[in-house]
Amino acid sequence: MVAWIGTAVRLGLAVVWAWAGLAKISDPQAAAQAVRVYRILPEGLVKPFGYGLPFLEIALALLLLVGLGTRIAAVISGVLLLVYIGAIASVWARGISIDCGCFGGGGAVAASQTAYWQEILRDCGFLLLSGWLIWRPKTRLSLDGWLAA
Amino acid sequence: MSNKNDGGKRSARERMQEERAKQEAAARKKRQLTVILAALVVIAAAVVIGIVVQNGRSSSYDAAKDAPAGTVGNTRLLIPVGATNAPSTVTIYEDPRCPACEQFETGMKTTMNQLLAQGKIQIQYHIASFIDRHDGGTGSKNAANALACAQNVGLFHNYHDVLYANQPQETEDAWADKSILISLAKQVPGLDSPSFESCVNGNTFGSWVTAVQSDFDKSGYNSTPTVLLNGTSAYPTYNSQDISPANFTAWVDAANKGKPLASIPSASAEALASPTAHNNPPASGGASASHS
Repeated sequence: MVAWIGTAVRLGLAVVWAWAGLAKISDPQAAAQAVRVYRILPEGLVKPFGYGLPFLEIALALLLLVGLGTRIAAVISGVLLLVYIGAIASVWARGISIDCGCFGGGGAVAASQTAYWQEILRDCGFLLLSGWLIWRPKTRLSLDGWLAA
Repeated sequence: MSNKNDGGKRSARERMQEERAKQEAAARKKRQLTVILAALVVIAAAVVIGIVVQNGRSSSYDAAKDAPAGTVGNTRLLIPVGATNAPSTVTIYEDPRCPACEQFETGMKTTMNQLLAQGKIQIQYHIASFIDRHDGGTGSKNAANALACAQNVGLFHNYHDVLYANQPQETEDAWADKSILISLAKQVPGLDSPSFESCVNGNTFGSWVTAVQSDFDKSGYNSTPTVLLNGTSAYPTYNSQDISPANFTAWVDAANKGKPLASIPSASAEALASPTAHNNPPASGGASASHS
Protein backbone atom coordinates (compact mmCIF):
# COMPACT_ATOMS: atom_id res chain seq x y z
CA MET A 1 0.00 0.00 0.00
CA VAL A 2 2.73 2.44 1.02
CA ALA A 3 4.55 1.54 -2.20
CA TRP A 4 1.48 2.47 -4.24
CA ILE A 5 1.15 5.82 -2.44
CA GLY A 6 4.82 6.32 -3.29
CA THR A 7 4.05 5.70 -6.95
CA ALA A 8 1.34 8.36 -6.89
CA VAL A 9 3.64 10.82 -5.11
CA ARG A 10 6.48 10.09 -7.55
CA LEU A 11 4.26 10.61 -10.61
CA GLY A 12 2.71 13.72 -9.07
CA LEU A 13 6.12 15.31 -8.52
CA ALA A 14 7.16 14.24 -12.04
CA VAL A 15 4.18 16.11 -13.50
CA VAL A 16 5.04 19.21 -11.45
CA TRP A 17 8.65 19.26 -12.68
CA ALA A 18 7.70 18.49 -16.27
CA TRP A 19 5.16 21.29 -16.31
CA ALA A 20 7.57 23.74 -14.67
CA GLY A 21 10.42 22.84 -17.01
CA LEU A 22 8.53 22.68 -20.30
CA ALA A 23 6.86 26.05 -19.66
CA LYS A 24 10.29 27.68 -19.50
CA ILE A 25 12.09 26.31 -22.55
CA SER A 26 10.23 27.99 -25.40
CA ASP A 27 11.61 31.49 -24.69
CA PRO A 28 15.19 31.42 -23.36
CA GLN A 29 15.32 35.21 -23.11
CA ALA A 30 12.25 35.26 -20.87
CA ALA A 31 13.70 32.43 -18.75
CA ALA A 32 16.90 34.43 -18.27
CA GLN A 33 14.91 37.53 -17.34
CA ALA A 34 12.85 35.53 -14.82
CA VAL A 35 16.16 34.67 -13.09
CA ARG A 36 17.61 38.18 -13.47
CA VAL A 37 14.75 39.96 -11.68
CA TYR A 38 15.48 38.08 -8.43
CA ARG A 39 18.66 40.22 -8.28
CA ILE A 40 20.54 37.41 -6.57
CA LEU A 41 22.90 36.10 -9.25
CA PRO A 42 25.53 38.21 -11.00
CA GLU A 43 24.81 38.93 -14.67
CA GLY A 44 27.33 36.32 -15.83
CA LEU A 45 25.35 33.53 -14.16
CA VAL A 46 21.88 34.70 -15.18
CA LYS A 47 21.87 32.95 -18.56
CA PRO A 48 23.40 29.62 -17.45
CA PHE A 49 20.78 29.39 -14.69
CA GLY A 50 17.92 30.65 -16.84
CA TYR A 51 18.82 28.21 -19.60
CA GLY A 52 19.87 25.28 -17.40
CA LEU A 53 17.25 25.16 -14.61
CA PRO A 54 14.34 24.16 -16.88
CA PHE A 55 16.39 21.21 -18.12
CA LEU A 56 17.30 20.22 -14.57
CA GLU A 57 13.56 20.20 -13.84
CA ILE A 58 12.82 18.11 -16.92
CA ALA A 59 15.59 15.64 -16.02
CA LEU A 60 14.09 15.27 -12.53
CA ALA A 61 10.68 14.74 -14.12
CA LEU A 62 12.05 11.96 -16.33
CA LEU A 63 13.86 10.21 -13.47
CA LEU A 64 10.76 10.37 -11.26
CA LEU A 65 8.51 9.27 -14.12
CA VAL A 66 10.47 6.05 -14.71
CA GLY A 67 11.45 5.70 -11.06
CA LEU A 68 15.20 5.62 -11.61
CA GLY A 69 17.24 6.82 -8.63
CA THR A 70 14.04 7.90 -6.90
CA ARG A 71 15.75 8.81 -3.64
CA ILE A 72 18.53 10.90 -5.20
CA ALA A 73 15.99 12.57 -7.52
CA ALA A 74 13.82 13.34 -4.48
CA VAL A 75 16.81 14.72 -2.55
CA ILE A 76 17.74 17.02 -5.45
CA SER A 77 14.07 18.01 -5.82
CA GLY A 78 13.97 18.95 -2.16
CA VAL A 79 17.18 20.97 -2.34
CA LEU A 80 15.95 22.77 -5.47
CA LEU A 81 12.61 23.58 -3.82
CA LEU A 82 14.39 24.91 -0.73
CA VAL A 83 16.49 27.13 -3.00
CA TYR A 84 13.33 28.38 -4.75
CA ILE A 85 11.55 29.04 -1.45
CA GLY A 86 14.61 30.88 -0.16
CA ALA A 87 14.87 32.97 -3.33
CA ILE A 88 11.18 33.95 -3.21
CA ALA A 89 11.44 34.80 0.50
CA SER A 90 14.53 36.91 -0.21
CA VAL A 91 12.77 38.84 -2.99
CA TRP A 92 9.78 39.33 -0.71
CA ALA A 93 11.97 40.57 2.14
CA ARG A 94 13.75 43.04 -0.14
CA GLY A 95 10.45 44.50 -1.34
CA ILE A 96 10.99 43.58 -5.01
CA SER A 97 7.77 42.93 -6.97
CA ILE A 98 8.08 39.99 -9.33
CA ASP A 99 6.27 36.93 -10.58
CA CYS A 100 8.28 33.91 -9.35
CA GLY A 101 8.44 32.53 -12.89
CA CYS A 102 7.97 29.08 -11.39
CA PHE A 103 5.84 27.81 -14.26
CA GLY A 104 7.06 30.07 -17.05
CA GLY A 105 6.47 33.79 -17.23
CA GLY A 106 8.31 35.71 -14.54
CA GLY A 107 9.65 39.22 -14.54
CA ALA A 108 8.57 42.38 -12.81
CA VAL A 109 4.93 42.87 -11.87
CA ALA A 110 2.98 45.56 -10.04
CA ALA A 111 3.29 45.33 -6.26
CA SER A 112 -0.40 44.40 -6.05
CA GLN A 113 0.18 41.42 -8.35
CA THR A 114 2.72 39.57 -6.25
CA ALA A 115 1.71 36.21 -4.81
CA TYR A 116 4.64 35.29 -2.55
CA TRP A 117 2.57 33.53 0.11
CA GLN A 118 0.83 31.32 -2.40
CA GLU A 119 4.07 30.58 -4.26
CA ILE A 120 5.91 29.60 -1.08
CA LEU A 121 3.00 27.50 0.22
CA ARG A 122 2.76 25.71 -3.11
CA ASP A 123 6.48 24.95 -3.08
CA CYS A 124 6.16 23.69 0.51
CA GLY A 125 3.50 21.26 -0.72
CA PHE A 126 5.93 19.99 -3.38
CA LEU A 127 8.58 19.78 -0.67
CA LEU A 128 6.33 17.39 1.26
CA LEU A 129 6.09 15.16 -1.83
CA SER A 130 9.89 15.13 -2.09
CA GLY A 131 10.14 14.37 1.64
CA TRP A 132 7.85 11.36 1.28
CA LEU A 133 10.02 9.92 -1.50
CA ILE A 134 13.23 10.48 0.47
CA TRP A 135 11.61 8.63 3.40
CA ARG A 136 10.01 5.86 1.31
CA PRO A 137 11.85 5.66 -2.04
CA LYS A 138 10.59 2.15 -2.83
CA THR A 139 7.59 2.53 -5.12
CA ARG A 140 5.62 0.27 -7.45
CA LEU A 141 6.12 0.44 -11.23
CA SER A 142 9.63 1.81 -10.90
CA LEU A 143 12.88 1.09 -12.66
CA ASP A 144 14.50 0.96 -9.23
CA GLY A 145 12.22 -1.93 -8.23
CA TRP A 146 12.80 -3.74 -11.51
CA LEU A 147 16.59 -3.41 -11.15
CA ALA A 148 16.52 -4.69 -7.56
CA ALA A 149 14.40 -7.75 -8.43
CA MET B 1 35.07 -36.21 18.52
CA SER B 2 31.91 -36.18 16.52
CA ASN B 3 30.77 -33.11 18.44
CA LYS B 4 33.85 -31.29 17.52
CA ASN B 5 33.41 -32.31 13.92
CA ASP B 6 29.76 -31.03 13.87
CA GLY B 7 30.81 -27.74 15.37
CA GLY B 8 33.43 -27.32 12.68
CA LYS B 9 30.86 -28.01 9.94
CA ARG B 10 28.37 -25.56 11.41
CA SER B 11 30.87 -22.83 11.71
CA ALA B 12 31.98 -23.40 8.12
CA ARG B 13 28.36 -23.15 6.95
CA GLU B 14 27.87 -20.00 8.99
CA ARG B 15 31.02 -18.53 7.59
CA MET B 16 29.79 -19.27 4.09
CA GLN B 17 26.37 -17.70 4.79
CA GLU B 18 28.04 -14.70 6.33
CA GLU B 19 30.31 -14.40 3.35
CA ARG B 20 27.36 -14.63 0.95
CA ALA B 21 25.39 -12.03 2.88
CA LYS B 22 28.39 -9.73 2.81
CA GLN B 23 28.75 -10.20 -0.93
CA GLU B 24 25.07 -9.54 -1.47
CA ALA B 25 25.21 -6.40 0.63
CA ALA B 26 28.24 -5.23 -1.34
CA ALA B 27 26.47 -5.98 -4.62
CA ARG B 28 23.36 -4.10 -3.47
CA LYS B 29 25.47 -1.15 -2.44
CA LYS B 30 27.24 -1.21 -5.78
CA ARG B 31 23.91 -1.34 -7.60
CA GLN B 32 22.60 1.60 -5.57
CA LEU B 33 25.72 3.63 -6.30
CA THR B 34 25.40 2.82 -10.00
CA VAL B 35 21.78 4.01 -9.98
CA ILE B 36 22.71 7.23 -8.17
CA LEU B 37 25.55 7.78 -10.61
CA ALA B 38 23.23 7.13 -13.58
CA ALA B 39 20.69 9.60 -12.20
CA LEU B 40 23.37 12.25 -11.72
CA VAL B 41 24.69 11.65 -15.24
CA VAL B 42 21.16 12.08 -16.68
CA ILE B 43 20.74 15.34 -14.77
CA ALA B 44 24.17 16.73 -15.68
CA ALA B 45 23.74 15.79 -19.35
CA ALA B 46 20.29 17.41 -19.49
CA VAL B 47 21.56 20.65 -17.94
CA VAL B 48 24.64 20.89 -20.16
CA ILE B 49 22.68 20.07 -23.32
CA GLY B 50 19.99 22.54 -22.26
CA ILE B 51 22.43 25.41 -21.76
CA VAL B 52 24.16 24.72 -25.07
CA VAL B 53 20.89 24.41 -27.02
CA GLN B 54 19.33 27.54 -25.48
CA ASN B 55 22.54 29.48 -26.07
CA GLY B 56 22.40 28.48 -29.72
CA ARG B 57 18.74 29.46 -29.96
CA SER B 58 19.23 32.93 -28.54
CA SER B 59 19.87 34.78 -31.73
CA SER B 60 23.24 36.39 -32.09
CA TYR B 61 23.04 40.09 -32.83
CA ASP B 62 25.63 41.90 -34.90
CA ALA B 63 25.11 45.66 -34.75
CA ALA B 64 26.96 46.19 -38.03
CA LYS B 65 24.67 43.84 -39.98
CA ASP B 66 21.42 43.49 -38.07
CA ALA B 67 20.44 47.02 -37.01
CA PRO B 68 18.09 49.19 -39.09
CA ALA B 69 19.66 52.19 -40.85
CA GLY B 70 20.03 55.35 -38.82
CA THR B 71 19.95 53.70 -35.38
CA VAL B 72 22.32 55.08 -32.74
CA GLY B 73 24.04 54.07 -29.52
CA ASN B 74 26.98 51.72 -28.88
CA THR B 75 25.22 48.73 -30.35
CA ARG B 76 22.73 50.70 -32.45
CA LEU B 77 19.68 49.72 -30.43
CA LEU B 78 18.16 53.23 -30.25
CA ILE B 79 15.97 54.95 -32.82
CA PRO B 80 16.59 58.72 -32.85
CA VAL B 81 13.95 61.25 -33.86
CA GLY B 82 14.78 64.94 -34.21
CA ALA B 83 18.04 66.90 -34.38
CA THR B 84 21.20 65.25 -33.10
CA ASN B 85 22.45 68.57 -31.71
CA ALA B 86 19.25 69.38 -29.80
CA PRO B 87 20.21 70.48 -26.26
CA SER B 88 18.05 67.90 -24.45
CA THR B 89 17.67 64.17 -24.98
CA VAL B 90 14.41 62.42 -24.15
CA THR B 91 14.77 58.65 -23.83
CA ILE B 92 11.56 56.67 -24.20
CA TYR B 93 11.16 52.94 -23.54
CA GLU B 94 7.92 51.75 -25.11
CA ASP B 95 6.30 48.45 -25.94
CA PRO B 96 3.98 48.58 -28.97
CA ARG B 97 1.28 46.61 -27.11
CA CYS B 98 1.53 48.53 -23.82
CA PRO B 99 -1.69 50.45 -23.02
CA ALA B 100 0.08 52.88 -20.65
CA CYS B 101 2.39 53.78 -23.57
CA GLU B 102 -0.64 54.45 -25.72
CA GLN B 103 -2.03 56.76 -23.02
CA PHE B 104 1.33 58.51 -22.76
CA GLU B 105 1.49 58.91 -26.56
CA THR B 106 -2.08 60.16 -26.82
CA GLY B 107 -1.55 62.72 -24.08
CA MET B 108 1.99 63.83 -24.91
CA LYS B 109 2.46 63.23 -28.64
CA THR B 110 1.57 66.76 -29.76
CA THR B 111 3.86 68.32 -27.15
CA MET B 112 6.74 65.97 -27.96
CA ASN B 113 6.41 66.60 -31.69
CA GLN B 114 6.37 70.37 -31.10
CA LEU B 115 9.50 70.21 -28.93
CA LEU B 116 11.16 68.15 -31.68
CA ALA B 117 10.20 70.67 -34.35
CA GLN B 118 11.49 73.57 -32.23
CA GLY B 119 14.89 71.84 -31.98
CA LYS B 120 14.59 71.61 -28.20
CA ILE B 121 14.81 67.84 -27.87
CA GLN B 122 15.90 64.70 -29.61
CA ILE B 123 13.96 61.56 -28.72
CA GLN B 124 15.74 58.20 -28.52
CA TYR B 125 13.31 55.30 -28.61
CA HIS B 126 13.93 51.85 -27.12
CA ILE B 127 11.26 49.64 -28.67
CA ALA B 128 10.76 46.94 -26.03
CA SER B 129 8.66 43.84 -26.69
CA PHE B 130 8.14 42.08 -23.37
CA ILE B 131 4.33 42.16 -23.37
CA ASP B 132 4.45 39.12 -25.66
CA ARG B 133 6.00 37.03 -22.89
CA HIS B 134 3.82 38.68 -20.26
CA ASP B 135 0.44 38.17 -21.97
CA GLY B 136 1.45 35.60 -24.55
CA GLY B 137 1.52 36.24 -28.28
CA THR B 138 3.77 37.83 -30.88
CA GLY B 139 2.18 41.24 -31.52
CA SER B 140 4.83 43.30 -29.72
CA LYS B 141 7.69 41.61 -31.53
CA ASN B 142 5.95 41.86 -34.90
CA ALA B 143 5.20 45.55 -34.36
CA ALA B 144 8.74 46.26 -33.09
CA ASN B 145 10.12 44.59 -36.22
CA ALA B 146 7.73 46.58 -38.42
CA LEU B 147 8.86 49.79 -36.69
CA ALA B 148 12.45 48.79 -37.44
CA CYS B 149 11.48 48.21 -41.08
CA ALA B 150 9.98 51.74 -41.14
CA GLN B 151 13.10 53.18 -39.47
CA ASN B 152 15.20 51.47 -42.14
CA VAL B 153 13.50 53.65 -44.78
CA GLY B 154 13.38 56.79 -42.61
CA LEU B 155 9.65 56.67 -41.79
CA PHE B 156 9.73 55.52 -38.17
CA HIS B 157 8.26 58.66 -36.60
CA ASN B 158 5.14 58.72 -38.75
CA TYR B 159 4.52 54.95 -38.52
CA HIS B 160 5.13 55.00 -34.75
CA ASP B 161 2.38 57.60 -34.32
CA VAL B 162 0.05 55.62 -36.61
CA LEU B 163 0.58 52.40 -34.64
CA TYR B 164 -0.17 54.00 -31.28
CA ALA B 165 -3.25 55.69 -32.73
CA ASN B 166 -4.47 52.22 -33.80
CA GLN B 167 -3.29 50.11 -30.87
CA PRO B 168 -5.45 47.04 -30.20
CA GLN B 169 -6.48 45.99 -26.67
CA GLU B 170 -3.47 44.67 -24.76
CA THR B 171 -4.93 41.20 -24.39
CA GLU B 172 -6.12 40.98 -27.98
CA ASP B 173 -2.76 40.50 -29.78
CA ALA B 174 -4.19 41.70 -33.10
CA TRP B 175 -0.66 42.41 -34.37
CA ALA B 176 0.13 38.71 -34.29
CA ASP B 177 -1.41 39.10 -37.75
CA LYS B 178 1.32 40.91 -39.71
CA SER B 179 -1.12 41.90 -42.45
CA ILE B 180 -2.70 44.37 -40.02
CA LEU B 181 0.68 46.04 -39.53
CA ILE B 182 1.11 46.23 -43.30
CA SER B 183 -2.39 47.59 -43.70
CA LEU B 184 -1.62 50.34 -41.15
CA ALA B 185 1.57 51.14 -43.08
CA LYS B 186 -0.58 52.07 -46.07
CA GLN B 187 -1.56 55.23 -44.16
CA VAL B 188 2.06 56.42 -44.24
CA PRO B 189 2.90 57.84 -47.69
CA GLY B 190 5.82 55.98 -49.24
CA LEU B 191 6.09 53.27 -46.57
CA ASP B 192 4.22 50.32 -47.99
CA SER B 193 6.29 48.60 -50.66
CA PRO B 194 7.19 45.03 -51.57
CA SER B 195 10.46 45.35 -49.66
CA PHE B 196 8.68 46.75 -46.57
CA GLU B 197 6.15 43.92 -46.70
CA SER B 198 8.84 41.29 -47.00
CA CYS B 199 10.70 42.99 -44.14
CA VAL B 200 7.58 42.74 -41.95
CA ASN B 201 6.61 39.24 -43.04
CA GLY B 202 10.17 37.90 -42.91
CA ASN B 203 10.89 39.36 -39.45
CA THR B 204 14.02 40.91 -40.97
CA PHE B 205 15.03 42.79 -37.81
CA GLY B 206 14.09 39.99 -35.40
CA SER B 207 17.55 39.68 -33.87
CA TRP B 208 17.67 43.47 -33.37
CA VAL B 209 14.25 43.36 -31.67
CA THR B 210 15.52 40.62 -29.35
CA ALA B 211 18.70 42.59 -28.62
CA VAL B 212 16.70 45.73 -27.78
CA GLN B 213 14.47 43.77 -25.40
CA SER B 214 17.53 42.10 -23.86
CA ASP B 215 19.00 45.57 -23.29
CA PHE B 216 15.75 46.67 -21.63
CA ASP B 217 15.80 43.54 -19.43
CA LYS B 218 19.26 44.48 -18.22
CA SER B 219 18.47 48.18 -17.82
CA GLY B 220 16.83 47.77 -14.43
CA TYR B 221 13.75 49.63 -15.67
CA ASN B 222 10.85 47.25 -15.40
CA SER B 223 7.82 48.94 -16.89
CA THR B 224 6.87 50.92 -19.95
CA PRO B 225 6.63 53.73 -20.68
CA THR B 226 9.88 54.72 -19.04
CA VAL B 227 10.67 58.31 -20.00
CA LEU B 228 13.96 60.01 -19.18
CA LEU B 229 14.74 63.69 -19.65
CA ASN B 230 18.53 63.95 -19.98
CA GLY B 231 18.83 60.69 -18.06
CA THR B 232 16.45 61.59 -15.22
CA SER B 233 13.11 59.82 -14.93
CA ALA B 234 10.29 62.08 -16.13
CA TYR B 235 7.37 59.66 -15.99
CA PRO B 236 5.05 59.75 -14.16
CA THR B 237 6.79 62.57 -12.26
CA TYR B 238 9.88 64.78 -12.49
CA ASN B 239 11.04 66.77 -9.46
CA SER B 240 7.80 65.60 -7.84
CA GLN B 241 5.64 67.31 -10.48
CA ASP B 242 3.25 65.20 -12.54
CA ILE B 243 3.95 64.93 -16.26
CA SER B 244 1.64 67.04 -18.45
CA PRO B 245 2.13 68.90 -21.73
CA ALA B 246 2.70 72.22 -19.92
CA ASN B 247 4.94 70.75 -17.23
CA PHE B 248 7.04 68.74 -19.66
CA THR B 249 7.61 71.80 -21.82
CA ALA B 250 8.63 73.78 -18.75
CA TRP B 251 11.04 71.02 -17.65
CA VAL B 252 12.66 70.97 -21.09
CA ASP B 253 12.94 74.77 -21.20
CA ALA B 254 14.52 74.77 -17.75
CA ALA B 255 16.99 72.08 -18.78
CA ASN B 256 17.81 73.94 -22.01
CA LYS B 257 18.39 77.30 -20.32
CA GLY B 258 21.39 79.02 -21.82
CA LYS B 259 21.94 76.35 -24.47
CA PRO B 260 21.49 76.97 -28.20
CA LEU B 261 18.57 75.13 -29.83
CA ALA B 262 19.15 72.96 -32.86
CA SER B 263 18.27 74.79 -36.05
CA ILE B 264 15.89 72.77 -38.15
CA PRO B 265 14.96 73.54 -41.77
CA SER B 266 11.29 74.53 -41.97
CA ALA B 267 10.28 71.53 -44.09
CA SER B 268 11.69 69.04 -41.56
CA ALA B 269 10.28 71.08 -38.70
CA GLU B 270 6.84 70.74 -40.23
CA ALA B 271 7.30 66.98 -40.64
CA LEU B 272 8.45 66.66 -37.01
CA ALA B 273 5.60 68.78 -35.67
CA SER B 274 2.90 66.72 -37.36
CA PRO B 275 4.35 63.56 -38.87
CA THR B 276 0.95 62.15 -39.80
CA ALA B 277 -0.47 65.36 -41.32
CA HIS B 278 -0.34 64.15 -44.90
CA ASN B 279 -1.22 60.53 -44.28
CA ASN B 280 -3.69 58.57 -46.34
CA PRO B 281 -7.03 58.01 -44.66
CA PRO B 282 -7.27 54.60 -43.02
CA ALA B 283 -8.72 51.93 -45.27
CA SER B 284 -12.29 51.28 -44.23
CA GLY B 285 -11.88 47.54 -44.62
CA GLY B 286 -9.14 47.40 -42.00
CA ALA B 287 -7.09 44.25 -42.19
CA SER B 288 -8.99 42.85 -45.15
CA ALA B 289 -7.55 45.56 -47.41
CA SER B 290 -4.05 44.31 -46.82
CA HIS B 291 -4.21 41.28 -49.06
CA SER B 292 -4.50 43.31 -52.24
